[in-house]
Amino acid sequence: MLAATLRGMIAHKLRLVLTTASIALGVAFLAGTLVLTDTMGLAFEQLFGKVSAGTDAVVRTQAAYTASEGTSTSRPPIAASVLGDVAKVDGVRAVEGSVSGYALLTDNEGRAVVADGGAPTVGYNMPADVALRGDVDLLSGEAPNGPAEVAIDATSAEENGIALGSTIKVLFQGPPEEFTVVGTVGFGGEKDLGGTTSAYFNTETAQRVLGSPGLFDTIGVGAEDGVSQAELADRLAAVVPADAEAVTGAAVSQENSDAISEDLKFVRVLFLVFAGIALFVGSFIIWNTFTMIVTQRSREIALLRAVGATRRQVLRSLLLEALLLGAAASAVGIGLGLLVAKGLQLLMDVVGISLPSTSLQLEPRTIIVSMLVGTLVTVIAAIVPARRATKVLPVEALRESTPGAERPSKRRAIIGLAILVAGVAGMLANLYGDAPLSVFGIGLLAMMIGVIVALPLAVRPLSSLIGAPITLRGMPGELATQNAMRNPRRTSSTAAALMIGLTLVVSMSVFASSMRASFGDVLSDRLSADLYLTGPSTQSPGFSPSVIDAVAAVPGVDKVSASGFGMARFDDRDAPFTAVDPATAEEMMKLHTSEGSVRDLGENGIMVARSAATSHGWQLGDTVTAAFAASGEHQLRIVGIYDKGWIREDYIISLAQRTAFAGPQLLLMGLVDVAPGAELATVQAAVANALADHPDALVLDHAGYEKQGIGFLDTMLTFVTVMLLLAVLIALLGIVNTLALSVFERTRELGLLRAVGMTRGQVRAMVRWESVVIALIGAVSGAALGIVIGLALSRAMQVFGINTLTVPAAQLALYVALAAVAGVLAAVGPARSAANVDVLRAVVTD
Amino acid sequence: MTLTTGIPRVTTAVAARTVGVSKLYGMGDAAVTALDDVSVDMLEGQFTAVMGPSGSGKSTLLHMLAGLDRPTSGDVYVGPTEITTLKDTALTLLRRDRIGFIFQSFNLLPTMTAAENIVLPMRIAGRRPDAAWVDSIVETVGLKDRLSHRPAELSGGQQQRVAAARALASRPQIVFADEPTGALDSKSGTELLTFLRTAVTELGQTVVMVTHEPTAASYADRVIFLADGHIVNEMHAATADEILDHMKFLGS
Repeated sequence: MLAATLRGMIAHKLRLVLTTASIALGVAFLAGTLVLTDTMGLAFEQLFGKVSAGTDAVVRTQAAYTASEGTSTSRPPIAASVLGDVAKVDGVRAVEGSVSGYALLTDNEGRAVVADGGAPTVGYNMPADVALRGDVDLLSGEAPNGPAEVAIDATSAEENGIALGSTIKVLFQGPPEEFTVVGTVGFGGEKDLGGTTSAYFNTETAQRVLGSPGLFDTIGVGAEDGVSQAELADRLAAVVPADAEAVTGAAVSQENSDAISEDLKFVRVLFLVFAGIALFVGSFIIWNTFTMIVTQRSREIALLRAVGATRRQVLRSLLLEALLLGAAASAVGIGLGLLVAKGLQLLMDVVGISLPSTSLQLEPRTIIVSMLVGTLVTVIAAIVPARRATKVLPVEALRESTPGAERPSKRRAIIGLAILVAGVAGMLANLYGDAPLSVFGIGLLAMMIGVIVALPLAVRPLSSLIGAPITLRGMPGELATQNAMRNPRRTSSTAAALMIGLTLVVSMSVFASSMRASFGDVLSDRLSADLYLTGPSTQSPGFSPSVIDAVAAVPGVDKVSASGFGMARFDDRDAPFTAVDPATAEEMMKLHTSEGSVRDLGENGIMVARSAATSHGWQLGDTVTAAFAASGEHQLRIVGIYDKGWIREDYIISLAQRTAFAGPQLLLMGLVDVAPGAELATVQAAVANALADHPDALVLDHAGYEKQGIGFLDTMLTFVTVMLLLAVLIALLGIVNTLALSVFERTRELGLLRAVGMTRGQVRAMVRWESVVIALIGAVSGAALGIVIGLALSRAMQVFGINTLTVPAAQLALYVALAAVAGVLAAVGPARSAANVDVLRAVVTD
Repeated sequence: MTLTTGIPRVTTAVAARTVGVSKLYGMGDAAVTALDDVSVDMLEGQFTAVMGPSGSGKSTLLHMLAGLDRPTSGDVYVGPTEITTLKDTALTLLRRDRIGFIFQSFNLLPTMTAAENIVLPMRIAGRRPDAAWVDSIVETVGLKDRLSHRPAELSGGQQQRVAAARALASRPQIVFADEPTGALDSKSGTELLTFLRTAVTELGQTVVMVTHEPTAASYADRVIFLADGHIVNEMHAATADEILDHMKFLGS
């Protein structure tokens, strides 16, 4: 049986190539995702390894809790006095405190040096001990020594033309300062630390501008020769203060890389979702291929059965074929995966998400997972058609078979419609009832599955509809329409692949367009501001509080309301909070306080959202325990309850409280109220002028802020669309596959048509139109489903202020038109082979 | 022996003609000569049967005459047109407009009804079929109540009659039939042959039919015998028995 299987596979090369390609593309995406995230993870690990390479142990305070915030856990600082105790410990060679924080470089003209994609801009102290610097090397100049000296990363220096000896301004959370650039720094051969910008100061200066004098973030310890990290940490543990701990350098590296994996999880999950979609779409093609294999081979199978092959043997033979195909295609896919990883890296660069990189990492795990998934998907997709093959009766070997002419099963239609209706009901229950969001999600999925299952039912009406104008183009068009609907199941599973791709693309664009249409309203409904202050890019961490003072001093500015963001643990649950200016928030951020007042926040107050209050059973005056990484637990009294509007977080504290609890932090946004009588444009120009010294902030008017927000939305949409186009590409391969097989199946028909006078051009047109009909069935049903899903998603997001539902008609028309064009392209090969059918072979009965 | 020697022509016009046509399949030692320097005229208004044992080249001759295949050497004319030099499109249009076909099986498109199949060549050409003419043909083949059926719903004989109706519907210059009764029972075969005979006698249609059945050949005005790629003899208005005897003679 194996020999027969192999020979059969090789005999149909085109089918082999197309099916392999469709599986391989899905697997490539999966493998590419894993390769990319592994590569990024390793790159981060290497970077942190480089920085901490020479540190054998770290002394630091114990964190109030270990919730990770970015790439490091925030902890209270440790007193510089601990340094002396540590130095006395046996086996300690060197001890130095380390301190790091926000530091935004500016270039010679005073413009902010913004890292790609808003990567962090960080300042550090440069350890005097060269070993404790790890792989941080001076590439030129010298280490910063005086209070006005800085060494910066080589990339920032080169790209912005900052020469040694020049004076630049550096922005901090506190007031900015001017420094002379005395050196450039590299990191174990790299010119920057994973795309971030770095500024190095001497320790005393770093404490002043990044932290607080007399305090360090952590203390780094270098061991004498022959003292292991563990030994050192043990000995240190005996002398450190009660609230501090001593850990090995290796443990700290591990913590850092764990935190990074956590951060990369989002990227990984995102890409894996796309890989899943690609594989799902690919499985339709596999299903189709095997169905056609079974149909074509029914005589062969029947013959095998007649000469004594059991059902089990037939099934095994087909599944073996699927297994071999799946394994081979997965292997190809892994190879392609390396290219995909490069492509994704490029794509992320283009949309402005820059991540560190190193040589591509192909882990054994990637190979195993990709092989398993690719092979399994193939085998599973082949099971149903293969089982059908076992039902071929031996007597069918003797029967003359006519291809096609299959009717959609009633049972399937009923099941499909039932799932569809249940799905829609679930979605409606969430949108108009009390059902939770999860019901909406499940309903959405059910609706899609229902449509896929019931699609064969729609093939005939849709073909007639789409075919109507094509039929006017004469006989080839008419035949094409008939061919498209003669096997509804095959047409529908071919079209379904395209439908899924288009559904996703269209629902995203409908959702995005609704969001775009609503964003302006959200701003005016939920905020009261004439001008907006933001960071230099949408992904920037924010701007220094000094910006607010500068703007408030501008003539014509009536009020400025700043706000920031943070993470803390509230009653044992990690949650984000918003920090506001109590004097102006009620009015300018439209808080909708139903009880109490934001003005009562004081030193120990907190505001909670109505929804959080209800679920926790909180009343005005109750106490919430809030734990901050930097300062530990605080008992906060509820002084107000608000309805969520612009602020989506459950908790609000004041900016002053945030500084007290979490240390100096950046601001995210500033709302500016222009004094009555002052002209907006004039004031905006004046504010912009005032911000010349503050390159970490921008002033935007309503339209500008809207544009910035939408710009980010568009970037994300572009990213998602590009990803989903892969699924569309696979779906097109499916059309090529189906057409090629149909042409093969209809050799005799084509020969007859040629004999009675159909020209090659007409035959090509016929195949082309059939392809267009199939593509349009997929595109039209995908667009319809996408519109429904997009609108439902937008409706579900009403709480975020999406009130305007819009359908980007021109864009959708473009998608559908592109699908038709793609159909034409998909038909090129099959049309050519159809036109070249040997007339004689078709008409001569053998 | 040259075929025209001593045989009087029934009509003067030639519907199709081969001049010194040879057809070789394969290359070198494996080459097989299917037709060897065959010259023959198919006369207008005549029912010609081409007979011979399998491998005699009779189907190949038909394919050459019908523009379905090209000869290795020699010329083929349909009416006044020399067709071996025609490009594919011109040849296809010639088949569409001037030739009708009936094959042994698989004559019809499974997705179309009988009526649609009958007018297929004209629809391909984008021409409106002559309704009265089509009606009269349908009437003659006795398919009036079967017009809306698809091929799968028709018997083998009915399918061949639909094919015959299609072959005649576009008023072709010549109709080629390749073993049209090969897959039929004798009753259906008789019906089909009667129809072809009628088409020639009453409508003046030219028909060339390849067959290996003496009974079928007996419906023809003229029977041409092929063996090993050569025309070996021909008979006029022969009975089935006479043809059978001649076949036996050829075979011996």
